[in-house]
Amino acid sequence: MDNLSYLFAAYAIIFAVIFGYVLFIWRRQVALEAELRAMEARMRALDEAAVATKAARFRAGS
Amino acid sequence: MVSSFTAVLRKDLLLEVRGGQSTVALGALSLLVLVVLVFAFNPGGGEQGAEAAAGALWVALVFSGMLGATRAVSAESENGCIRALLMSPLDRAALYAAKLAAAFIFMAVAEAASIILMVLFFNLEFDARVMRLVPAVLLGALGFAALATLLAGISSRLRGGDLVLPLLAVPMFVPALIAGVKASASALGGAPSSEFAIWLKVLVAFDVMFVAAGYLLFEYVAREE
Amino acid sequence: MNGRGVRLGLGLVAGALMLAALYMVFVYVPTEADQGIVQRIFYFHVPCAWVAFVSFALVAIAGIFYLWLGQQVWDDLGYAAAETGMVFCTLVLVTGSIWAKPIWGAWWTWDSRLTTTLILWLLYGGYLMLRAMAGDSEQGARFGAVVGIVAAIDVPIVIVSVRLWRTIHPAVLVTRQGGHGLEDPRMVATLLVALAAFTALFIWILCLRFVTLRMHTRLGALARSLALAEAAAQDS
Repeated sequence: MDNLSYLFAAYAIIFAVIFGYVLFIWRRQVALEAELRAMEARMRALDEAAVATKAARFRAGS
Repeated sequence: MVSSFTAVLRKDLLLEVRGGQSTVALGALSLLVLVVLVFAFNPGGGEQGAEAAAGALWVALVFSGMLGATRAVSAESENGCIRALLMSPLDRAALYAAKLAAAFIFMAVAEAASIILMVLFFNLEFDARVMRLVPAVLLGALGFAALATLLAGISSRLRGGDLVLPLLAVPMFVPALIAGVKASASALGGAPSSEFAIWLKVLVAFDVMFVAAGYLLFEYVAREE
Repeated sequence: MNGRGVRLGLGLVAGALMLAALYMVFVYVPTEADQGIVQRIFYFHVPCAWVAFVSFALVAIAGIFYLWLGQQVWDDLGYAAAETGMVFCTLVLVTGSIWAKPIWGAWWTWDSRLTTTLILWLLYGGYLMLRAMAGDSEQGARFGAVVGIVAAIDVPIVIVSVRLWRTIHPAVLVTRQGGHGLEDPRMVATLLVALAAFTALFIWILCLRFVTLRMHTRLGALARSLALAEAAAQDS
């Protein structure tokens, strides 16, 4: 029945498009979270470097 | 505020009179568009001819309007004059009004030429029906100038922004385009004036809304960082 | 900003409502007399249009707040609404087309509703292209807000003029009657449930997209202050 194909096509497209968009958002989210973790690592590195510098200065007595 | 409006407008008009080529360019563009559309539609006489003529007239209006608005807005782009203009304590709304007026005047001149060409190309008569066109065309030009001046403010500030102006202006102009073409077709085809009046009202509403919107929003566009 | 829990909750609500709507569309509601089973497309086609128009209004409202308050959060909301609205607007046009073909024999009819939705789609497209061209800048956000507001002002007059266009001048192609003359109360109920399902779905997707944009904004600010701190650390 041809009309059934049209009905199916319409609903299939609706779900495919919505699913596709949600997938697109999800992948963006994953990438952003990875970026966030990289930045947190950089921040930790900065903190450790700052602590190390302070300790070295303290030992040097200045 | 009125003085800054007249100052900027006078400057733009003087520039044009003293050898600017905007009105000539707009007129030439309108001519070319009309020629193309004559070949495209190959119109016969009668009502079909009137509808084709009305449509062609408004296509020419849209194309020349985009050029006109871009030119009016970028009049100061050479030599960094735009920065000087914006650093002055010039009311942005007055600037918008002046640019709008300049664009409208350029368009009105081009439209006058277009109407004459339309009558010639589409085998119409220079009679009262053509005169009825004039208010519709003027209202349409004003509405398009209001819309395009605001959008040209945006497109002229973006790299490669030339695409943005037609992309946004054309769908936004659709209500006035429909009203204008229908009003023009009914004027040329001798349709009852009640129908003509309805479409004119739509044009007036469009103009009021977009002039007001442009007036209020232009300051957010013309902000130099 | 939105907790993970809220997003999950919204998603579950949307999913549940969607399942209910699907049941009603395919099992509960009777087949319409004239158009047959293809008419069932209507129950999802209309809510998509509802979402597309609501989202458009949201873009404009977010734009007004952005211009007024200058806070990036409003621009993030506006952009999320524009992208989401574009998706649903596309669905309106596609499902409308698929519905039109078996009923009217043509893939596209210039009836007033589809034409208005097409203009809406073009306006959405223009907004998104503008944002893409302007990039991730304050200028892009400002221009977007202006365009969103102007476009929303345009929509009512588009609706009026297109409707006049289609009634004063009788259409050459047969126009779709609009389909809101639903006789059976079961049809009305099904439509309402579908509307609720799509509203929930819209809110859920909007939140998801909004959250990613907020993260992006925050990461941008964070990256800038990190770069400054790293430069300062190198100097010392």
